[in-house]
Amino acid sequence: MTEAALTIDGLGVSFAGFKAVDTFSMVVPQGDVRVLLGANGAGKTTLMDLICGKTRASEGKVFLFDQDITNLQEYRIARAGLARKFQIPSVFRELTVRENLTIACTAMHGVMGNMRLTSTAQEQDRFDQVVETVGVGASLDRIAGALSHGETQWLELGLLMGQGARVILLDEPTAGMTHAETMKTAALIRRMQGTHTLLVVEHDMAFVREIATRITVMHLGRFLAEGTVAQIEQNQQVRDAYLGNGGIR
Amino acid sequence: MMRSNDRRLEILAYGSFIIAVLVIPLLADVFWLNRIAKYLVFGMLGVAVALSWGYAGVLNLGQGLFFGMGAYMMAMSLKLQSPASVQPDGALLPDFMVWNAAPGASQHLCCISPGSWLWIPFQSQGFGIAMALMLPMLCSFLLGSSIFRLRISGVFVSIITLALVLLARLLLIDAQPLTNGFNGLTDLGWLTIGGYEFDPYAVATYYLVAVAVIVVLLATRFLVATRAGLILQATRDDANRARYLGFNVAAYQVFFFSVSGLIAGMAGMLYVIASEFASPTFLDLSFSISMVIWAAVGGRNSLLGACIGAILINVIEATASESPMLSEAWKAIIGLIFILVVLYLPRGLTGLARDIAARLGERPATSPKEQTQ
Repeated sequence: MTEAALTIDGLGVSFAGFKAVDTFSMVVPQGDVRVLLGANGAGKTTLMDLICGKTRASEGKVFLFDQDITNLQEYRIARAGLARKFQIPSVFRELTVRENLTIACTAMHGVMGNMRLTSTAQEQDRFDQVVETVGVGASLDRIAGALSHGETQWLELGLLMGQGARVILLDEPTAGMTHAETMKTAALIRRMQGTHTLLVVEHDMAFVREIATRITVMHLGRFLAEGTVAQIEQNQQVRDAYLGNGGIR
Repeated sequence: MMRSNDRRLEILAYGSFIIAVLVIPLLADVFWLNRIAKYLVFGMLGVAVALSWGYAGVLNLGQGLFFGMGAYMMAMSLKLQSPASVQPDGALLPDFMVWNAAPGASQHLCCISPGSWLWIPFQSQGFGIAMALMLPMLCSFLLGSSIFRLRISGVFVSIITLALVLLARLLLIDAQPLTNGFNGLTDLGWLTIGGYEFDPYAVATYYLVAVAVIVVLLATRFLVATRAGLILQATRDDANRARYLGFNVAAYQVFFFSVSGLIAGMAGMLYVIASEFASPTFLDLSFSISMVIWAAVGGRNSLLGACIGAILINVIEATASESPMLSEAWKAIIGLIFILVVLYLPRGLTGLARDIAARLGERPATSPKEQTQ
């Protein structure tokens, strides 16, 4: 039995009476790539916002391994070992790729601890490792704002790896990508698997089949089903929930 | 290749600037030397603006508040140093307080007017210097703490700082018995350190200012080159991303905002030493906006660029205002320059210099290739 990396227990939030996420629970074991499925408005992105601290939960708890991270400040949740990638790629656009990754690999987070010009050996190791995994060695001196859409997404994945997160939340990492780019992203995610635990929101089923260990389905803010790719594709409840919204695409 | 070229250009630029600043006393007469000392102080303000606007992405439209604080703290101390402040009985009392005093009021700092006791510690010049540095830093720290912890950013910070400097200006003028209101503090004494008096027109005073500017420039350059400086730029580019990487964005913004306030306060202090007055005009909106224009023209993403931009514009202004026709038109000219820079040179003169250098640097790199073809 592997350890639970992310435990969500009865999490909920409502916006002006509308329950966007409603007593939602799930456990993601360490090393899993868990895909979160659900129709538009099912509450997937809101769930991620609740986990990473962007939105405050009104009920329930979130645990990262043994640590309760419910409603902590975003940077405290990040320091506890949780990373979040947003739908719109966000990197430091005016800085070079090298500077972007250097910042992500910084082990100390305080102002005073960073009154230094060089990286520690440990930070340098992690930097080299990320550069190799993401394959950005050739573009280290380019300005991040000049990268293509796909490259920007990969750089952001590199940032998440660099920050040493143990659990990574990805919100539609292949949005706007070509097929080739999507497959490269899938390969990158498989390389991250094992050292990282991932929770991924994604609609592209070809991509989901490539990466998912298990799938959790949300419907109207609630837990609907969980299982392997095959189980979910056969699940009558899931079909019903989706058919009302046009089926799985 | 590009990067090492950039680096060499930057070292060359800093080196030339420092040498130029240090040799000016050999070339200029006392009148111009004093003027240039004041412009160097403005250059220091350019550094403060570039740090907060260019590096932190915080456009402070009330930098004059911190400049004014530094200036008044120093001026209060120097006012009491002035021979005009020595009363017949040997007590120190600013002349304007004597003139404004109610008949029969005590002729002492403690109680000549309400609040005049605040002046008592300023009899020590060391206290004045300490306050000139500490007060702006403390106030920018407190202001920054409340703004940035609430995640206020962009134009809202500009509006808040703009409103604050105007409010402070009103209060300063209103506190006439304490600050001499509109008239400001004039007829100041000279800064005296270890028995040496810094005559504003002496070469020593020029060097005091020049060395301070060079030290501030280099120290700030070091600060932005550190990892913390890099993270600050990251918070400017994408505060959320920085937050989700584990950085307390507000802490970085507050720290560098305070440093910027400290530099502005130090500039105010030096300006008073060189100019022998402090006035509410330091808190005028037009002055704070001028600082932003200097930095924009010089290049807000470059500390040295903003510093040189400030000096350059002021030298041109001083020269232009000697001709009566240009002195009238100057405000329009500087406005036009600002618009042109914003439209065509968003990185200011620094960006222009870098582009020219990059173009020159390309030539030797391409010529061997042509030979092999």
